[in-house]
Amino acid sequence: MDVNNPRAATVDLPTPSVGPPADTGHVGALSKLAPEPARYVLNWGRRYSLWVFNFGLACCAIEFIATSMARHDFIRLGVIPFAPGPRQADLMVVSGTVTDKMAPAVRRLYEQMPDPKYVISFGSCSNSGGPYWDSYCVTKGVDQIIPVDVYVPGCPPRPEALLQGILKVQDKIAAESLGDRYPGSPPEREPLRKRLSAKALLRPLIGPKDHDDVA
Amino acid sequence: MSSWGSGLIRGLRVTWQNLARRSVTAQYPDAPPELPPRSRGVIALFEENCTVCMLCARECPCWCIYIDSHKEAVPPVEEGARERSTNVLDRFAIDYSLCMYCGICIEACPFDALEWSPEFEYAELDIRDLTHEKDRLREWMWTVPAPPGLDPAAAEPKEIATAQKAAEKAAAASQGQAAEETRDDGGGS
Repeated sequence: MDVNNPRAATVDLPTPSVGPPADTGHVGALSKLAPEPARYVLNWGRRYSLWVFNFGLACCAIEFIATSMARHDFIRLGVIPFAPGPRQADLMVVSGTVTDKMAPAVRRLYEQMPDPKYVISFGSCSNSGGPYWDSYCVTKGVDQIIPVDVYVPGCPPRPEALLQGILKVQDKIAAESLGDRYPGSPPEREPLRKRLSAKALLRPLIGPKDHDDVA
Repeated sequence: MSSWGSGLIRGLRVTWQNLARRSVTAQYPDAPPELPPRSRGVIALFEENCTVCMLCARECPCWCIYIDSHKEAVPPVEEGARERSTNVLDRFAIDYSLCMYCGICIEACPFDALEWSPEFEYAELDIRDLTHEKDRLREWMWTVPAPPGLDPAAAEPKEIATAQKAAEKAAAASQGQAAEETRDDGGGS
C-alpha cells in the first residue's frame, strides 16, 4: 500500500455518540395505540418469542452457544436462535469485543432489524471495552453505536447470567408501552416508482472522505 | 458393505437411548443452578478489613477499582505520646462493566478484605448501575461461601495450633499448681 497516497487511506468511522441514535425507529399504529389489555397480550406474545441474532465477536460467543445448547437451553424461555439474519430477529446479543473496524457493521445490522428490537450487551468487552478499554482500536462499549437494553456483566458471563439477562429483557418488554418506546411518527412511504438498483443496496455505510484539504 | 436401512436403525437406536435417558437441562430460573466450587461470580468487600493500602487498585489490570480515602488523627493511648493517623475508607467501587474477573485484587489483598462470591445475577438496564459501591459490595459479602476444609493429613492452621499450645500450657500450669497445693495440704496435716 502506498502510504503517501491520501486516497489509499479512506477508512473513516462515524463519530461515536453516547446514547440511542436520533432516529429510534417506528412501529405500526395498531401496536402503538393498543389499549392496556391488548397491550398486555401483545407484550406477552412478544416476550416469549424473541428470535435472537447472535453477534458473536469473541470468546463470549462461546458462552452464548453454551446457553443455546441442551444443558441451559434458552428455547425454554422462548428465545429462538434460528433467525436466518438480522431482518428476522427481535433480539441482538452482542457478545465480544467490538472493534472500531467492526463497529459500522454492528450498526448496520442493528439498523436492518425490524422494530421493536432489543439489544443485550454480553460481557465486559461489549459493555465498556473491558480489559481492552485502553486499546486504540476497540470501541469503548457497544452502547456508543447502538442503544443497549440490558448489560450482562462477566468476562465471560456464565450461561446462567445470560439467562438472567434474557429474563430482564422479558420483564422490560412486559412492562413497556410501544408508544412510549417509539414516539416518532412512521415515515411517509414513497411510492415505489422504480426498482432499487443493486448499487443502492450495496452502498457503503460511510462515503469516501473528501481529501481536498489533505492534497 | 452395510445393508439397506442399517443407518436408519442405528439412528433410531440413538434416538431411543436418548429418549430413555433423563434430560440434562438445568431448570435455571425455577431451580438454583449448580455452580462449580470456587466459581467467580462477583467480588465482595469486607470493609472492616480494608486498610486503604491501594494494592488492589494498583494491581488491577483493568483499572476498575476506585478508592477514595482520607486520614484521621487518633488520640494517643498514653499520656504525652504523639497522636497517630489512620486511613478511613470513603469510597470503594468496582466497575463490573470493566472487570475481567482475574481475581488479582483478591490475591493481592494482604488483609483478606476482598473475596469471591458465586453470585451472578446482577445484569442491569443502565450501565452506571454496574459500578457497585461500597454498600453493595458489602451485601455480596454475605453470599461468600465458607472456605473449603483442609486435606485429611494437613497440618493444623497456625491460629489453632498456637491456641492449643497456649491452652495446654495453661492446663499444665494449673495442674502443677493443684498438685503443689495438695502436697502442701498433705504436709500441713
